[in-house]
Amino acid sequence: MSPVKRQRLMLVGFLVLGVSAAAALIFQAFQQNMMFFFSTSEVAEGLAPIDRDFRVGGVVVENSVSRASDSLKVVFDITDLKTPIQVEYTGILPDLFREGQGIVAKGQLNAQGVFVASEVLAKHDENYMPPEVAATLHKPPAAAY
Amino acid sequence: MRFVRLVQQQLSLAYANKLDWLTPLLFFALVIILFPLALGGSPQTLAAVAPGLLWVAALLATLLSLDSMFRGDHDDGTLELWAASQASLLRYTYAKLVSHWLLYALPLVVLSPLLGYGLHLPVSALPVLVLSLVLGSLSLVWIGAVGVAITSGIKYNSFLLALLVLPFYMPILIFGASAVDVAAQGWSALGPLYLLAALAVLSVTLAPLAVAKALKLSLN
Amino acid sequence: MHPVLKWFYQWAVPHFVYPRIQTGLPWVALLASSLLVIGLVWGLVFAPADYQQGDAFRIIYVHVPAAWLSMLVYMAMTMMAISVLVWRIQVAELALIASAPIGAAFTLMALFTGAIWGKPMWGAWWVWDARLTSELILLFIYLGIFALYHAIEDKRQAAKAASLMTLVGVVNIPIIHYSVIWWNTLHQPPSLSKLDTPSIHPDMLWPLLITLLAFKLMYLWMLMLRLRTELLLRYPQSAWVQAIVQAMVQAQIQPTKDKSKDNAR
Repeated sequence: MSPVKRQRLMLVGFLVLGVSAAAALIFQAFQQNMMFFFSTSEVAEGLAPIDRDFRVGGVVVENSVSRASDSLKVVFDITDLKTPIQVEYTGILPDLFREGQGIVAKGQLNAQGVFVASEVLAKHDENYMPPEVAATLHKPPAAAY
Repeated sequence: MRFVRLVQQQLSLAYANKLDWLTPLLFFALVIILFPLALGGSPQTLAAVAPGLLWVAALLATLLSLDSMFRGDHDDGTLELWAASQASLLRYTYAKLVSHWLLYALPLVVLSPLLGYGLHLPVSALPVLVLSLVLGSLSLVWIGAVGVAITSGIKYNSFLLALLVLPFYMPILIFGASAVDVAAQGWSALGPLYLLAALAVLSVTLAPLAVAKALKLSLN
Repeated sequence: MHPVLKWFYQWAVPHFVYPRIQTGLPWVALLASSLLVIGLVWGLVFAPADYQQGDAFRIIYVHVPAAWLSMLVYMAMTMMAISVLVWRIQVAELALIASAPIGAAFTLMALFTGAIWGKPMWGAWWVWDARLTSELILLFIYLGIFALYHAIEDKRQAAKAASLMTLVGVVNIPIIHYSVIWWNTLHQPPSLSKLDTPSIHPDMLWPLLITLLAFKLMYLWMLMLRLRTELLLRYPQSAWVQAIVQAMVQAQIQPTKDKSKDNAR
């Protein structure tokens, strides 16, 4: 084999090695939980941490929203359709927040197992259709997940 | 010339010009000192923004150090000698980059825990800060070198260099700062660290090819 | 030489390309503008309103094609960059440089319409949403390539440097895009930009498809216009450019004379 060819082969081998090593590392990275996101069942089972912020997602349970009369405090339940948990939030909720809507809340669990949210965000789905069509569709709320 | 010998030569050249490698380091330290002065010394405020500040400052310091990477060799014709063959140009590129990293990035990494401590970053997050900077600065130097090589024929190139290179620095900044942020909140930072390592491996293998190509272009 | 290959090679010859731009231009212009009018009127006036977003959603008929084109132009530039660096085709150099500002314009349009859409949807003109952020970074990459080309005096070398930068960008853009999505999901919920494809009702889809096609033709139209100018500027000394300039000057002299007569009256 000529030296030029050998050098070229070494270079190609080096590149293949580098790219596959990078792919392996990316694969490793996705093995980790990087979103700090927990379902309501996981929270109820005590899998979520108690001393730091994390995010929890679920559908707002029908008829569970109750607002305090003298403050902006709102209490409601969210569920992943298995186990509900209670969420407490003080502040203005987003426009798309309604019962049956999927939301994501960020905050901490307090001693009573209530999730005290510092931030609540509503999911808007990416389905575009006329209102009449939307009315005829009976999508289960679980479709948001 | 052997690779190790090449690196040694670069290092001894830098040793002769002592202040040169200190400048990015001083810049890094000074920028970090500015923030407590601007934000007030409250430990909570500082600790909350520390990962981002340290990373942005390290990124800018690295960017500032890049400018002169090939200038001397471009002007005195050394580069043209190396460009005579593809293989030797690649070897020269690697030696240049390794010595650049040792000279300019490594001191930042070494100083960073001290500055992190000064910004009230939890002590448990300091190892992650160091590791993220080691991995991240590899990508910063290697990717930045592509920009330096492409602009090496242009006279006033610092702003253009920043414009070309900064967009490509954003993923590194995102993963680096969030690794430290996550570690400071007490989570495992393995996820972003793996991603930083992947980026470092990718840029160390791929970027020298683009650097060699760009250097050849600039010589025509 | 194989006839198909020969046909392709012709497009690397400047004086073959120029007259074909001239003949093709009015047709492309006509098709692009009529499709644009049809698609926009259909989408903005006749398509039904959305069940959740109401009339505000209509901006997708401008936003989505612009965003799509901002990436498509970059893909086209990548092809051109490969032609420049591998086969050293000069026409591709000019097409690449002609494309960069068009791509930047589409990106700016996507950002601007995104901001207008953001106001009713998220209650703010700007949010650090994954798509908006990576679109903003893309804008800077376009501007960087354009600035690099203009900073180097030797235009052939400049075009090669710009091509190399385009290729470096193509490796990086997916990395940037995914890092921004990841960053976004870390700091905001995945709600604002889910990765699954949106579903859209057929009544709303048709005008979107038409505007998408219209925007693509618009790119072609603008590319032809700019490439025509770049070709004339790059080869000012060649015989075919001299002939064209001669013809232009001849045509110019007649109307100007008439005009001066009008002014005198």
